[in-house]
Amino acid sequence: MKFKDHLGKELLFFDGAMGTMLQKQGLRSGELPEVWNATRENVILDIHKNYLEAGANIIKANTFGINPFKMEGTGYTCEELTQRGIALVKRAIAETGKKAYAALDIGSLGKLLEPLGDLPFEAAYEAFRPVCVAGEQAGADLCLIETMNDTYEIKAAVLAAKENTSLPIVVTMVFDESGKLLTGADMEAAVAMLEGLRVDAIGLNCGFGPDVMKAFLPKLRQICSLPLVLNPNAGLPVVVDGRTCFQVTPGDFAAIMKEIAAEGMSILGGCCGTTPAHIQALVSACQGMPPLQVTEKNRSVVSSYTHAVVFEERPKIIGERINPTGKSRFKQALREKDMEYIYKEALVQQEHGAHILDVNVGLPEIDEVEMMRKAVTGIQGITGLPLQIDTSDGAAMETAMRLYNGKPLINSVNGKQESMDTVFPLVAKYGGMVVCLALDEEGIPKTAEGRVRVAEKIIAEAAKYGIGKKDLLIDTLTLTISTGQENAQVTLDALDYVRHQMGVHTTLGVSNISFGLPQREKVNTAFFTIALSRGLSAGIINPGSEAMMAAYHAYCALNGSDVQCADYIGIYSQQPGAPGAAPAKSGEISLYDAVVKGLAESAYQAAKKELQDKEPLAVIDGDLIPALDHVGQGFEKKTMFLPQLLMSADAAKAGFDAIKEHLKAKGDDSASKGTIVIATVKGDIHDIGKNIVKVLLENYGFEVIDLGKDVPPEDVVKAAREHDVRLVGLSALMTTTVSNMEITIQLLKKEAPACKVMVGGAVLTQTYADMIGADFYSKDAMGSVRYANELFGA
Amino acid sequence: MKVDRKETLRYLGYGRQEADGQTLQLLEEVAAELEADSMPKSIYREYGCQVEGDKVLFGGLAVTSASLARNLKGCRRVALLAATIGRTADLMIKKYSVLNLAKAAIVQAAGAAYIESYLDEISAEIKKDAQGRGLYLRPRFSPGYGDFSLEHQKDIFAMLECSKRIGVTLTAGNLMMPSKSVTALIGLTPARGQSCQMPSCSQCGKTDCEFRQEE
Repeated sequence: MKFKDHLGKELLFFDGAMGTMLQKQGLRSGELPEVWNATRENVILDIHKNYLEAGANIIKANTFGINPFKMEGTGYTCEELTQRGIALVKRAIAETGKKAYAALDIGSLGKLLEPLGDLPFEAAYEAFRPVCVAGEQAGADLCLIETMNDTYEIKAAVLAAKENTSLPIVVTMVFDESGKLLTGADMEAAVAMLEGLRVDAIGLNCGFGPDVMKAFLPKLRQICSLPLVLNPNAGLPVVVDGRTCFQVTPGDFAAIMKEIAAEGMSILGGCCGTTPAHIQALVSACQGMPPLQVTEKNRSVVSSYTHAVVFEERPKIIGERINPTGKSRFKQALREKDMEYIYKEALVQQEHGAHILDVNVGLPEIDEVEMMRKAVTGIQGITGLPLQIDTSDGAAMETAMRLYNGKPLINSVNGKQESMDTVFPLVAKYGGMVVCLALDEEGIPKTAEGRVRVAEKIIAEAAKYGIGKKDLLIDTLTLTISTGQENAQVTLDALDYVRHQMGVHTTLGVSNISFGLPQREKVNTAFFTIALSRGLSAGIINPGSEAMMAAYHAYCALNGSDVQCADYIGIYSQQPGAPGAAPAKSGEISLYDAVVKGLAESAYQAAKKELQDKEPLAVIDGDLIPALDHVGQGFEKKTMFLPQLLMSADAAKAGFDAIKEHLKAKGDDSASKGTIVIATVKGDIHDIGKNIVKVLLENYGFEVIDLGKDVPPEDVVKAAREHDVRLVGLSALMTTTVSNMEITIQLLKKEAPACKVMVGGAVLTQTYADMIGADFYSKDAMGSVRYANELFGA
Repeated sequence: MKVDRKETLRYLGYGRQEADGQTLQLLEEVAAELEADSMPKSIYREYGCQVEGDKVLFGGLAVTSASLARNLKGCRRVALLAATIGRTADLMIKKYSVLNLAKAAIVQAAGAAYIESYLDEISAEIKKDAQGRGLYLRPRFSPGYGDFSLEHQKDIFAMLECSKRIGVTLTAGNLMMPSKSVTALIGLTPARGQSCQMPSCSQCGKTDCEFRQEE
């Protein structure tokens, strides 16, 4: 029988540990166990046979650590050791005459993925791919992806297996005591993503013994609609006389596993510290017990790398601000690839209480696919909110969905065949919930019944791809009442029917209702409230609108989803007016003082006031620069310190923003004093110092092109030539990466000889800077400003 | 475990000076967030060790480093440890680099103080276990100190299974992620007179360092 058909029909048993068994046979600390597939075959073969005799019916091949990074320098290829590993399992099965499945065992690459680490997602995928292919070719019956603690890495491995083999996929993860993966994902987030990717079974392994793992299982059974797997350790690792041991006996192990099996499990086995004796005890205790009854939980859920957002009684807020429509400042940010502007919008919406963030970066004159890639990977690096991928470009949609760390929300599909043909295959492949617009080739239906019919059509088409109602959010379309007052009623009637009669969640782009009317917010807020009461599951709104958020919180209190009105009271019992508002300062503060004291909001206001009577250049030279100079000198004399320097820089930036706005309104584009390219060199991922330099240089009127961190020398040269700059700033923290600084400088001198180079970073000294040919070195950020001013003759 | 405010201010360059009200306020916010969300993890293993000239042998690994040999002189056992305060600090730095750079700089300093406090806790645990066997601790010594090559991080990571056990990985350039992580050797010696209570800046040769601790 094939594994997939067997799964769920009877309780199955994985074997136990290999690593700890090999340590007993002399495997040294730091030695690669997988090499024994070639050098000590018989040891591996015997262990497999012992587990088979003990009653295991799924044997994990000795392939856990096989990946290109770990194999480097061993003299073996991934393919070779994988093939040998699977062959040994199959030989053991043949020679014992037992019926069992051979599992390709894939563990973590041991590297951290971008953006926190330095391994790109696609590179992780490429590392997993050859092992998956070799495993299937060698005759594996399934692919086990185990001991994973990063949802992003899991996704790369699952896609590598899915797209290159037809093997069933089982994924088990390591959770810590608080029920989270090391990268922060809780169980709900991990399960949401994996169910979206349509793996065949999910579970836990390693980390603890069965007693601790038992506590996590009720929750797992409650939320998961797939078969479940458990491979615990033989207890917690204990250091005795300097050696690590696992102390739970086979009898005790089996006893707890039996209790777990009684509550419902699909596959049981063991991890570190378990032996054939443990597995034998396990099988004796549990053989013949019925497996878990897997049921569909019908959860409507999206997730990020940290948590899941479930659509249910309590409506959700989808923040709409990351969208260029009608926002010239945003369009400018997209053209200039100003990612920081976009990140700030994301974080501000998060602070205002958004549950999910819409991400729309579609602008005709830019490369939307590339910008979507940057936006999704960047935003998910700074916020843990799930994202709504908003695009009509199929390539941009696929790029975003592929790189998304979690289960995304897709905006949108509609009733047109072409749209459904583009979007649904992507959702089937990567997982996700989808916003479905109730329009089709015949346009927007004028009646509620018409919209419901389109919704039904979409639901039926989605079912063909195995996408259930639970993963759809129907948008019954908001049209402005200024073109037809019945519009609101039609939308709401359809919404009510979809939610309450058809049992499908709903969403609306609320603010469309008031287009063309004055004081739009008043109409939006009322419409939002009514829609919530008619069954709106999620509203796409501006979370920065106090009126809208107030209506939302009041509604949740009224419909009981905010239990005991606790959240409402928590937010609004502080003081009348805006919650968390700083008390207004009586008396005004000058721009100079605001910058010196580091008060950003006051600096902004003061600058605006000054601009009423003074020319921008006078404000800059008369107030901003002297204030910055004062703080800079204080920093150098050690009467003021880094945090103050940065708070002043922030305040100065606010002042500059006021000036930029003023100039833009006058149609003037402020000329910068000069352009500077900065970067942290290849191999180095520390960038806070560089970021400080950037802010200070910008304060002093320079345009800074920040190439980021871990930048190859060729990219620095390319940017320097492309922007025709006269000054490049390089930063490095480590002695090992500073050599890349030297290479970068040499390349610059060759390819862009007119360009000067200034360097900084904890590892540098004047001596070393001279040695590598830098034109200037400073031990602190202010030095860079002085040098730039000198160089550009400002 | 709390964030050591005084140590954080030292890393920010304050030395003996008082910090202003705004900075102290930000420091409190940062400390609260770090203390609430961080997930510190550690792992250590003990090995027999031999020091021959400027070569140190332990757990099947041979390290050539005069400064390490000096640190471990007379030790027959050595504890190899890896610790991290988790990724919260790194995520906070990323977030505040966009929202509030002053706060990001404070997270950097507070994170450094936090991992050091954590290491002191672990050292205390190792010390207790060692004292029962009549052994005393030498000061912590890490790859990158003196001539102890950073390349050995790869070996240490393989020996301790860092990525699997505590979720710390190495970049291509041998930098640790999460960044507030430390690997170290702690020599165990029967000679009480050669032990050291707490590691301090007195061990380090950079006497003009801006952040040098006052004795």
